Amino acid sequence: MSETTPQPSSDEMPTDAKNSQDTSAAKKTDDRTMHDERELGRISDIALMRRLWRWMRPYKLTFLACLLLLPAAYGMSLLQPHLVQLAVDRHLVPQHLAGLEVYAFAFLASVVCEYGLRFGQMYLMQLAGQRALRDLRCAAFDRLQQLDLAFFHRNPVGRVMSRLTTDVDALNEALSSGVVTIIGDLTMLAAIVVILLLKNWQLALITFITVPVLVGLTALFRILMRKAYRVSRVKIARLNANLQEAVTGMSIIQLFRHEQASFREYEEINRDYRGAAFSMIRWDAMLYAIVEMISSITIALIIWYGAGQAINDLVTLGVLVAFIQYVEKFFVPIRDLSQKYTMVQSAMAASERIFQLLDEEVTVLEDDDALPIARLERGIEFRNVWFAYTDDNWVLRDVSFSIKRGESLALVGHTGAGKSTITALLSRFYDVQQGHILVDGVDIRRYRVDDLRALFSVVLQDGFLFTGSLGDNVTLGVDGVSSADVDHAASIVGLDRLVQRFNGGYDHPILERGGNVSTGERQLITFARALARRPDVLVLDEATANVDTETEAWIQSAIERMLSHQTSIVVAHRLSTIQRVDRIVVLHHGEVAQIGSHDELVAVDGIYRTLVRLQYESMQGGGTVGAPAGALPQAPQGN
Amino acid sequence: MQVLVGSVLLVATNILALSIPRKTGEAIDLLRNADLLDTTEPVLRIVAVIAALAVGAGTTRILSRIAVFNVGRHIEYDIRNQLFKHLCRLEPAWFQRQATGDLVSRIINDVNNVRLLYGLGTLHIVNTTVAYTFVLSRMLSVSPRLTLLSLAPYPLVLIVMRFFTRAIYLRTQDAQAQLSQLSALSQENLSGAAVVRAFGIQPQARSRFRTASDEYVHQNMRLAIVRGGLFPFMGSISGLGALIVLWFGGRAVISGEISLGHFAEFSSYIAVLAWPTIAMGWVLSVWQRGAASFDRLMIVLGTDPAIENAADGGLNPRAGEVSPTITFDSVSLTYDDGTEALHDIDLEIEGGRSVAVVGRTGAGKSTLIQLIARLRDPTTGELRIDDVPLRDVALDSVRASIAVVPQDPFLFSRSVRDNITFGVLDDHDAAGSSSLRIDDAIRIAGLTEALEALPDGLDTVVGERGITLSGGQKQRVTIARAVLLDARILILDDALSSVDTGTERRILSELQGLMKGRTTILVTHRFNALDLFDEVIVMDEGRVVERGSHRSLIEAGGAYAEMVERQRLEEGLS
Repeated sequence: MSETTPQPSSDEMPTDAKNSQDTSAAKKTDDRTMHDERELGRISDIALMRRLWRWMRPYKLTFLACLLLLPAAYGMSLLQPHLVQLAVDRHLVPQHLAGLEVYAFAFLASVVCEYGLRFGQMYLMQLAGQRALRDLRCAAFDRLQQLDLAFFHRNPVGRVMSRLTTDVDALNEALSSGVVTIIGDLTMLAAIVVILLLKNWQLALITFITVPVLVGLTALFRILMRKAYRVSRVKIARLNANLQEAVTGMSIIQLFRHEQASFREYEEINRDYRGAAFSMIRWDAMLYAIVEMISSITIALIIWYGAGQAINDLVTLGVLVAFIQYVEKFFVPIRDLSQKYTMVQSAMAASERIFQLLDEEVTVLEDDDALPIARLERGIEFRNVWFAYTDDNWVLRDVSFSIKRGESLALVGHTGAGKSTITALLSRFYDVQQGHILVDGVDIRRYRVDDLRALFSVVLQDGFLFTGSLGDNVTLGVDGVSSADVDHAASIVGLDRLVQRFNGGYDHPILERGGNVSTGERQLITFARALARRPDVLVLDEATANVDTETEAWIQSAIERMLSHQTSIVVAHRLSTIQRVDRIVVLHHGEVAQIGSHDELVAVDGIYRTLVRLQYESMQGGGTVGAPAGALPQAPQGN
Repeated sequence: MQVLVGSVLLVATNILALSIPRKTGEAIDLLRNADLLDTTEPVLRIVAVIAALAVGAGTTRILSRIAVFNVGRHIEYDIRNQLFKHLCRLEPAWFQRQATGDLVSRIINDVNNVRLLYGLGTLHIVNTTVAYTFVLSRMLSVSPRLTLLSLAPYPLVLIVMRFFTRAIYLRTQDAQAQLSQLSALSQENLSGAAVVRAFGIQPQARSRFRTASDEYVHQNMRLAIVRGGLFPFMGSISGLGALIVLWFGGRAVISGEISLGHFAEFSSYIAVLAWPTIAMGWVLSVWQRGAASFDRLMIVLGTDPAIENAADGGLNPRAGEVSPTITFDSVSLTYDDGTEALHDIDLEIEGGRSVAVVGRTGAGKSTLIQLIARLRDPTTGELRIDDVPLRDVALDSVRASIAVVPQDPFLFSRSVRDNITFGVLDDHDAAGSSSLRIDDAIRIAGLTEALEALPDGLDTVVGERGITLSGGQKQRVTIARAVLLDARILILDDALSSVDTGTERRILSELQGLMKGRTTILVTHRFNALDLFDEVIVMDEGRVVERGSHRSLIEAGGAYAEMVERQRLEEGLS
């Protein structure tokens, strides 16, 4: 070994993987030190390993093959010095040329075999590992599909995302950087020990004199380096968080002339980080140099002792040369073991987090004997429903109303009155705390969840679109939706006119979150999406977004046509919508304040009349009927 | 300087380390002739020399590595500091043009790349040069022919290495692109969780995710082939070198051309040269990336702040007794995307008066505030403070005379106390300008009770790891922060939107005392407490449409009166 070996230390690893890993690691630590670090460490490594193994089991044959190739590769590697020894002893020393080529080609063959086997081993390892990780990732994703919306309120999307990507990727990194070769390294060390003992046990013992020193020092430096590494991780996370915060709040910093002070703080963390990096460099350099030094000193020992024996013909020169070469193969794995150990640890932490996600309980459940329901026969009833998202902050208080098949019903009220909550409860995004929601006279918790949700087609306020084609966004990839269904829905909501405007028709691509279509277009697409499934009940949460006059007219007529076709529940903001429905439920602070038709409600002095007055006035200001201001104004958020 | 020391030490390390195989070779030669001579003593001498060389190389190796790698860290430290300092000088509009998440992660990534290039680049370049010089001269002196033969495969190493690193880079990019696609897919699925559930399309989502996951496995395997293939390939090439040594060298030993010791030395050298060659191939290919990162950092560092002091450093008008008058002289502002935020505003806000600015969202109220604090400059027209053009006043002096409570109640993740005293500079008390204490600021901002409820009172840490304050509490902290500055102009930009109307009125009444003798500007959407202000300015679409006292505007029955009436109705509902 020599200085010129590019030694991949934990700090300065010269691979591209390390580069990308560095940034993701920074982000990881950021995210983790903030939220998760304290939760970890409850499960033992053994239990984690056992659980990880369950994911690898489907690929156990590949793993097995891989584990068998490893010793074969190392065998080839260990054969090389032996071949050199034979060549020296049988040909070079006796100056015997004939047959030297046998050794030369055997040597080359063993080199090629060694690397061929190593490559095969690595490939199989990756194949099995990558597939196991894919299964793990898909299982996590499946679990996320089953969890209810409350889970997503508790856990920000970003954090959940890092389970699926960053953490699975940490396992991936550990895998591809060859944590598994730890087993191989240990096997190889054992093999070298055996070979050396067999070749010449006295010389072998001399060689091993330095091993305890080496192991002791490596362990010591490992502890020191890990400490420095931890510090540097914490510091870099703080440094990046500080930079992030400063960039976000830069105008505050400037307004309050805090530039100098902020810089001093940043510089201080930066200096601490540099200090931690310095100690990492120091321990790493010492570990590296001392391993090299001990390796050289061992060679000196071999020569010193071997010389005595060689003189007495107890050992051949070839054996001596081979010993020196074996020693070079001996020390590197010992040094690398500690580094790989660190990687195993971070992989363990990542897997623990993934398992936490897999263990997340699914709360909205159906009974084993849940009832099927194919269509709505009679109607829907809310009976004394109470609901709170958290504790006892009641969003709905004792809400009762009903709707018969074929009827349309509007929910109106001020912002925060609980209108949208009602639509979410219908689809069992949440379960009520008190009271019942009845469909055809049966509590919805008794039905199969899928069946229940299939009754309703929900148009949510934000008009969420998926990346893909326009057509995909209407069918949502559901097989049951035929092109006739799509055409039918499109003609009702007037999407057909829009589709004609796009070059690709239904193949028109939709960018992330519908970034390339206007708000109005987005709404029409979600309308069509809801109708294409020919639902029993249409649930529409009217958006209040401002759109231009022409689009507003489109949307208004689309809503009118939709409502006239079927049973519908509408969270309404438009006067035109409210006037069309059979019944209006006026909500106020989570309670039902008034129920009746438009004409009935306008006739009495109450909340509804005030709402309509506000509506009417804003229409005056806006000019034509159905102008942008046709939506109820969003009141300032008071509390 | 340190680079030089490090390089010298590196050279020493290499020379010492490379002498070891040579001594080993000598020892073996001696032993070969052991039958003829007494070799015990010379062998012992060589053993001692090897041990000494090992210790020497070990020492210089530690020192050189520390020196060389530390340089990279020093550079990293300096670049980070410079970047931070520079970012502090850039105007808010610049930050708006960058996606912040992207900006920060790009900077982190680029700084890393540059550091790696310096630390490892230096190490490998020095190592390779020394190794080649030293080893080549030794090898040539032993046998020029064997040297040429055994080195024949090495140029191949350089070429192949470049090919591999390039392939690794490209395939890493592919794999990461696929990973971001996977992320985008799940991000979308999680953001649209409600839609996914409402329409029961989980099976479709699963199969899409599965397909993308399979593709990711595929990309990773493509990467694994080049990544895992690199070292076997390189190893085989250097094995080829070893074969040549064994084959031709062996013949040379037998023919007596070279000694067995030289043979052993030669095989060591051939192994020694493999790694620096590989490392050089690596350095060559990362050079480009490091340089690209460096360029990107330089672009940030080279961006001139759009808002700066005048060339002469700017005026520092003395803080007078009288509060400043703010004048807008035909001020217009057009954003980069062409939308006009302010249109030809002529406005004078007299010193010491309190003014409320109202209007719909997007009417230009906040933009007006940004201009006064010089967070933006107008596209045309001019702002003056006490008849001095704002551009001519030193930035520091402008900001020292203004206390702003911004629309977004941004707090830093530190204690409430630190947040409140955020704008108080160390020399503040020395200047003797502050008569306000933190307690007064807390009282005026109506924070007293809220603070008592916090676990550590004033020392409670806000945000990320600490307690998250409610919107109203945050706003009140930002008010206290501004009040404590005791500046001559006080600006509240929609700063009370999250507190209830009662609290709003109480805070504004508390502020009354403070507003005396100060120019106060309040941007608001609520009209309950506007009778406390000297004047109301109504804006719409970047223009001032009405001006007057609350009472007179109500009586006039214009746009303002209509807005106030609507609000009264709405409040009846909530």
